[in-house]
Amino acid sequence: MSRPFLRPRCCVAPFALCLLAAGCGSASETHTAGGDAERGRELLWQFGCGTCHRIEGVVGAVGEVGPPLDGLARRVYIAGVLTNTPENLARWIRMPQDIAPKTAMPDLGVTEEQARDMAAFLYLRR
Amino acid sequence: MSRRGAIRLLVVLTLAGTLAGAAVVYFGVYNVAATEQHTAPVYWLLNAALKRSVAQRAENIDVPPLDGRIENGLVLYREHCLNCHGAPGVPPNAFALGMTPLPANLAHTARTWDVRDIYWVVRYGIKMTGMPAWEFRVPDEQIWDIAAFVAALAHLTPREYEALAARVGTREGPLKPAETQAREDAVTPTPHPAEGDAGRGKKALQQYACVSCHEIPGVVGAIHPVGPPLAGMARRGFIGGVLPNTRANMVRWLRDPKAVDPDTAMPNLGVTERDAHDLAAFLETLR
Repeated sequence: MSRPFLRPRCCVAPFALCLLAAGCGSASETHTAGGDAERGRELLWQFGCGTCHRIEGVVGAVGEVGPPLDGLARRVYIAGVLTNTPENLARWIRMPQDIAPKTAMPDLGVTEEQARDMAAFLYLRR
Repeated sequence: MSRRGAIRLLVVLTLAGTLAGAAVVYFGVYNVAATEQHTAPVYWLLNAALKRSVAQRAENIDVPPLDGRIENGLVLYREHCLNCHGAPGVPPNAFALGMTPLPANLAHTARTWDVRDIYWVVRYGIKMTGMPAWEFRVPDEQIWDIAAFVAALAHLTPREYEALAARVGTREGPLKPAETQAREDAVTPTPHPAEGDAGRGKKALQQYACVSCHEIPGVVGAIHPVGPPLAGMARRGFIGGVLPNTRANMVRWLRDPKAVDPDTAMPNLGVTERDAHDLAAFLETLR
């Protein structure tokens, strides 16, 4: 094939970088989408995201309250209301109650930088 | 085996294969009903052939500047495409839900296909899918408008789409979404067992286009992650992130998601109460 059929659009490009970074495996190379994926993994654990979500790669993240986060990078919408971009995902993580007041997902006091790191890790979950 | 023996074996096998193929056709073995999804191998083969065919032909198309085309693209989209494909938070028309293959959710297409491929498909159509060719009906510049709009769906939330559509309007005025709900009483008014029929629900997944937007284990063609995957749905705590996962809430959500959450991308698909129970019964098997 002379070009990949599934040509990623601009918003998907960072995910490809994530995959490359994951392939290389070094923490310093997991900086992506403005966040640090390795720190993101730690934060997802610290904020208890795994209580409600299944997240491959995060120990004990086997929650079934909300949707599983594996394959999140390929999904079109976040929470059914936002289009899936790294910026929107970080925004959703920080202030779900502002975006969808009826959502079961609570505001957990995540900072902007922390949200970026979490998003970076979640985009490794293709 | 001698060379002659090998040739004889080859001839016999070829003949047998041809006869078997002819028998499949003659005896009508393959079910062409639109209520039955293809078998998994056939689905895979057709899908792969379609993608390769489009990619090969669209590869060298020169893309004109796409800025400023979205509003005109939306007007054309609503006129020519919306009936079959729906839009963010807007369902396709009822007849389109009965098609196999189902018209694709284009927000997913926008994320996974190149704009050249989208243009090519709009212009030339796709055989045996229901996708018409627009080449002789819509001027080339307008086909690019449509392609630009479809590509933009990757970043258009249901709320943004609604605002844009209201601003742009169309010749025949804004469409009424969810008018399919009106057929409710006309279709399947029969009483149903409250527990629901999971087998019938599995078939209804295709007929209500659930498979266009959710990955569902064991369902051929349910491979487009527009919304969340439905694996393990029986054990999930919340539906749509807002309703506790009970049978009554699931029926409510399936029948009228927009009433529960006006911003959701999940459209109102005109699901009857009986069908909602059957769908819910199937979802309860996904443990």
